[in-house]
Amino acid sequence: MSDQSKLTIGYRLLRRFNYETRSAALFILPVMSVLALVTVFPIFYSLYTSFFNLKLTRPHRVPFVWLDNYIKVLSDELFWESVQRTVSFTLMSVSAIAVIALLIALLLNETFRGRRVISTIVLIPWAIPTVANGLLWKWIYDSGYGALNGVLLQLGLIDKYTVWLGDADRTLPLIANAFVWKEVPLAAILILVTMKSIPADLYRAARVDGANAFQRFVHITLPSLKPGFMLVMIYETMMAIRHFDLFFLLTEGGPGEASHVVAWQIYVETFRNLSFGTGSAMSYILAIVTFALAYFIIKMLGRRV
Amino acid sequence: MKTLIFNSDSEKYRSKPKLTVLTRKVGLFIASAILMIYVLGPVGWLLSSSFQTEAEIVSVPPHWIPHEPTLKNFKAIFFQEFEEVTYENRSRVDTSAGGYIPTTAKYLLPSMWNSFIISIAVVILNLLVGVPAAYAMAKIRFWGRQASIYTILTTRVIPDIALVVPFFLVIKNLGLLDSLSSLIITYLAVTIPFTVFILVGYFESLPDELDKAARVDGCSRFQALTKVFLPLSVPSLVAVILFTFLTSWNEFLLALMFTQTISSQTLPIIVAGFTSDFTISFSFINAAGVIAIIPPVILAIFFERYIVSGLTAGAVKG
Repeated sequence: MSDQSKLTIGYRLLRRFNYETRSAALFILPVMSVLALVTVFPIFYSLYTSFFNLKLTRPHRVPFVWLDNYIKVLSDELFWESVQRTVSFTLMSVSAIAVIALLIALLLNETFRGRRVISTIVLIPWAIPTVANGLLWKWIYDSGYGALNGVLLQLGLIDKYTVWLGDADRTLPLIANAFVWKEVPLAAILILVTMKSIPADLYRAARVDGANAFQRFVHITLPSLKPGFMLVMIYETMMAIRHFDLFFLLTEGGPGEASHVVAWQIYVETFRNLSFGTGSAMSYILAIVTFALAYFIIKMLGRRV
Repeated sequence: MKTLIFNSDSEKYRSKPKLTVLTRKVGLFIASAILMIYVLGPVGWLLSSSFQTEAEIVSVPPHWIPHEPTLKNFKAIFFQEFEEVTYENRSRVDTSAGGYIPTTAKYLLPSMWNSFIISIAVVILNLLVGVPAAYAMAKIRFWGRQASIYTILTTRVIPDIALVVPFFLVIKNLGLLDSLSSLIITYLAVTIPFTVFILVGYFESLPDELDKAARVDGCSRFQALTKVFLPLSVPSLVAVILFTFLTSWNEFLLALMFTQTISSQTLPIIVAGFTSDFTISFSFINAAGVIAIIPPVILAIFFERYIVSGLTAGAVKG
């Protein structure tokens, strides 16, 4: 290598740390140090913990166990069952959210009197705390005095009150329904925003070519909504996979193990069995899977998010 | 349904456009009505049952509108007017049959105050660290810019539940369990990525010439930010403040793990505590739920425009 190229490399390095980079570094330093403290460090700490047999019930003996925690988690039948439940909960919720949000967006995209008021009211479920959401649906599904039983009885659809959350086959769909209700407003806004960005010329041209409303919807609206849908699907998939609150508030993983999802499994393993080693291993598996999934959806559905 | 058929009949012989206009109107009305029932139905039911007496709330089928509305539950929360269950009166008020107002009702207001303090602190810290970072990422072409944006967004992909275990160990080792600061610190991790995401999107949409002009006029980078960009970005700042506040106010999982006593418990924790106790009056639990819902809903309704525009700024170019 000649002296000339060494000089250029040195010069380039120096150029990289010019005034711009230095001031940028100063501006970014606070965020980076906060994130290093509250996210990056804990995540690596968790990786470290996942190699030890750490139990809070036995704090003074913490043996290093290599990958035993991972093996233990991955060979646990309950874990795989809970993975299955998380997958079906996620599929149910995300598809329902996409459909309902699309319908709401189509309505709010029209111009009519009262549209503004309605679009404000639609935000309400998004704003209310998950705890209140859980409480709300627990009360609606209540077997003795709940609104669901009341409505169905008055409509004559059932002849006696049903224990909704006690039925293992219905638990996941019912929790998904509560989840969807809260998540739909955000998804609808994101889709509506994308819908508004479709140029009106496209519709006019299609009309000239003789396309009816349905054809215009299928051939113009749906394809143009792809970026919006992609964002909604990525975001809602992330939210559904990690969702914990409603499982805690509505069923605590029950009845039996009907709503024992991965997030609930992590909670039970860590904070009820106080086994931090396997809990960390599970958290790590979940984090990596979520990550891979986000990457996969982005690759599958399109260019950049 | 009847009016629909009648109307379309009478319009039959008129010009076609009028008919289409009418069908469109009816269609929109029906769709809006369904949407409103879907959104407001559950909330309305909660609100209605919070004003009912215990006798009324257990009626079958339920009373959709309270026949004898009462403020008893709200009085218990705000003025501590409740009957304590003691050895003497426990036979009169049978707690096992449900229907009593717990003495923990007095914790609702202090926990609300905790939630408020935490949320405000998280908002302020977010702005302090988030605004300069977002400005640098949007307007300064420096080495490692893309990488730093991706790093920050990536941290948000990690599920909260996966962070809980390491958070817990870190907080425990720092001796911060059951303190407001533990929640403030962890909520920062949850909110900062979103703050940066929204603000970078917004700053990028402002023309680069603004930045250049400020610099030519002798502003330092810091001055360009505070004197030129901040005044222009009030809408997205409002959005960031709202998002951060609501996220902190509503957060449940981390608060559940890190708080033990009323000195640090937030509103969601106290409310959740009621729901798992079957002896507590249903109408009282619902009143507590209403109290938890009111502040965020008011904020959302009042600042709807900012929320939507904030989301738009980040999402559309996304």
